[in-house]
Amino acid sequence: MKVIELKNLSKIYNPETIPVRAINDVTLSVEEGEFTAIVGPSGCGKTTLLNMIGGLDISSEGSVDIGGVSINEMSESELTTFRLQHIGFVFQAYNLIPVLTAKENIEFIMVLQNRDAKTMQERSDDLLDRMGIKDQRDRRPSELSGGQQQRVAVARALASRPKFVLADEPTANLDSGSTEALLDIMAKLNKEEKITFIFSTHDQRVIDRAKRIIKLVDGEIVSDEQP
Amino acid sequence: MILSLAWKNIWRSKRRSFVVMSAVAIGVWSIIFMVSFYNSMIGAISRNSLQHDYSHIQIHHEGYLSEPGLGFQVKKPSMLMKFPSQIPDIEAVSSRLIVNGMVASPKTNLGIQVYAIDPADERAVTALSGFLTAGDYFTNIKRNPILLSQKLAEKLKVKVRSKVVITVQDLEANIRAGAFRVSGIFHSKSPRINNGVIYVRHEDLSKLINLPDTAFNEFAYLLKDNESLIETKQMMEAKTNNLVRTYREIAPEFDMIEEGSAISKQVITVIVMLALLFGIINTMLMAVLERTKEIGMLRAIGMFKSKIFFMIVLETFMISWVAAPMGLMAGFLTNLYFEKMGGLDLSQYAGALEQYGGDAIFYPEIAQSTYLLLMLVVMMTALIGAIYPAIKAVNLKPLEAIRKL
Repeated sequence: MKVIELKNLSKIYNPETIPVRAINDVTLSVEEGEFTAIVGPSGCGKTTLLNMIGGLDISSEGSVDIGGVSINEMSESELTTFRLQHIGFVFQAYNLIPVLTAKENIEFIMVLQNRDAKTMQERSDDLLDRMGIKDQRDRRPSELSGGQQQRVAVARALASRPKFVLADEPTANLDSGSTEALLDIMAKLNKEEKITFIFSTHDQRVIDRAKRIIKLVDGEIVSDEQP
Repeated sequence: MILSLAWKNIWRSKRRSFVVMSAVAIGVWSIIFMVSFYNSMIGAISRNSLQHDYSHIQIHHEGYLSEPGLGFQVKKPSMLMKFPSQIPDIEAVSSRLIVNGMVASPKTNLGIQVYAIDPADERAVTALSGFLTAGDYFTNIKRNPILLSQKLAEKLKVKVRSKVVITVQDLEANIRAGAFRVSGIFHSKSPRINNGVIYVRHEDLSKLINLPDTAFNEFAYLLKDNESLIETKQMMEAKTNNLVRTYREIAPEFDMIEEGSAISKQVITVIVMLALLFGIINTMLMAVLERTKEIGMLRAIGMFKSKIFFMIVLETFMISWVAAPMGLMAGFLTNLYFEKMGGLDLSQYAGALEQYGGDAIFYPEIAQSTYLLLMLVVMMTALIGAIYPAIKAVNLKPLEAIRKL
């Protein structure tokens, strides 16, 4: 089943003055359960593409369909609801809320979804367990290592039961050990629970684990392989 | 959890939050102190004028206002004397014969108003006997005793038992002069009385100007409390065809002073609140700018603008909720302290305060409702102060905010 479908997607910055095509006529689809890496050199448009898929940025041309729903024409408020219900985000810099504990950070998104306390409790306990950070549940981000923080970020992204997770350079700030551990967890979730992951990365360790590699150069797809 | 998050957010920068909370608490405390001080001062001026000069209600002949003097004496004075037994809210009455005249001592002479009174009645209405600083209350001199203020005594260079001559005009405009002796020297809390009123016995003045014992041109009534002022006035009007006026009608400056005081209190409150407002805006704006990236992340993961707005407003409210009661408590304790210590002694400014009829000792006076009102004003200020930073927060574009370093 197609989770994401992009048709002739383009992003043009400064269209009135000096137009810059960050994304140029990209067409691709992502099936449920894929473990996809979008790769390419810096400035090739990886993050821009991810932002458009996540509804954080608006395309200049083309369309973005998520689960059969076009997000191009959605209002800001509709997009917020859509992101909350259907998309999980993992950021390069973790972006956890520093004053909340690991558990509270995971539960926060469920609070925004108005889930009941019991559901939140069960879900956060389960995710903490699967991420291997159950012992760290009551620690604040500043008391966690980078790898542990990123695991909390992945748990937060999964807490809302999204259709897919967008991870922008998730291992960029991690050491080798933490990277491997994080990739193990995500690969396991992908394999066992068919959770769809889409990464933007130029980390070879991530590329090596990806089941599909889409290579971007100057905003265009130059290769789309399943190794 | 948003409530909990807002509370935790406040304590991210403890020093900054503490500074703004202190500013709010000090602002609230200063308003409580200032309002108490104003109330005390204005209360003393009003009370002193009321109790020691005008009384609650006065009755004159209708023509007296256009031509004060002996020509317009009150009608049916014996009936006016009976009002205290007929109208339950009247505490006491003093009948007066007031005439302008001159007082002369061997050293100098002065223009004064002569209040011819019944000493016992006047004591009940103005507590005049309580203000004596020398001599006594009409008893030590058998013939023609007078009471005059310390200020007049100093000007005339007289002391107790000194002889003075009072010159007045009778009904036919003949000049009448009589020798009087100083029985007592007083220091009233009314500047008007201190500056130009001399008290004599009614019987002595009426003999001097050939008027009967029943000749009066002013009746002053002291009420049990101020609440029944209008009602009592109306009851009196129904019983007499003389002119009945309350102290507010006699001395419109009462209203002016109270209104002026109210305006001053409001202006100072507004100034303090404006200072707090800018402090709150500044603090919250810094808090928002520091969390730009985080707010962007919250927007990205699906937090609605309304919830972010609510969170910022909540944080501002919480700061005020903690700080305002601290200020109120500090104000309350300060007032309590001065109450226990017998007031704040402002004797060094006594001269200036007495010029306005105030007291040298400041006893804090504040209505309980002022605390509640102030709390509401602070909350309102906090709400206004939260709006701009909250708008700034919700207007952050998630993508741009996340990209910020």
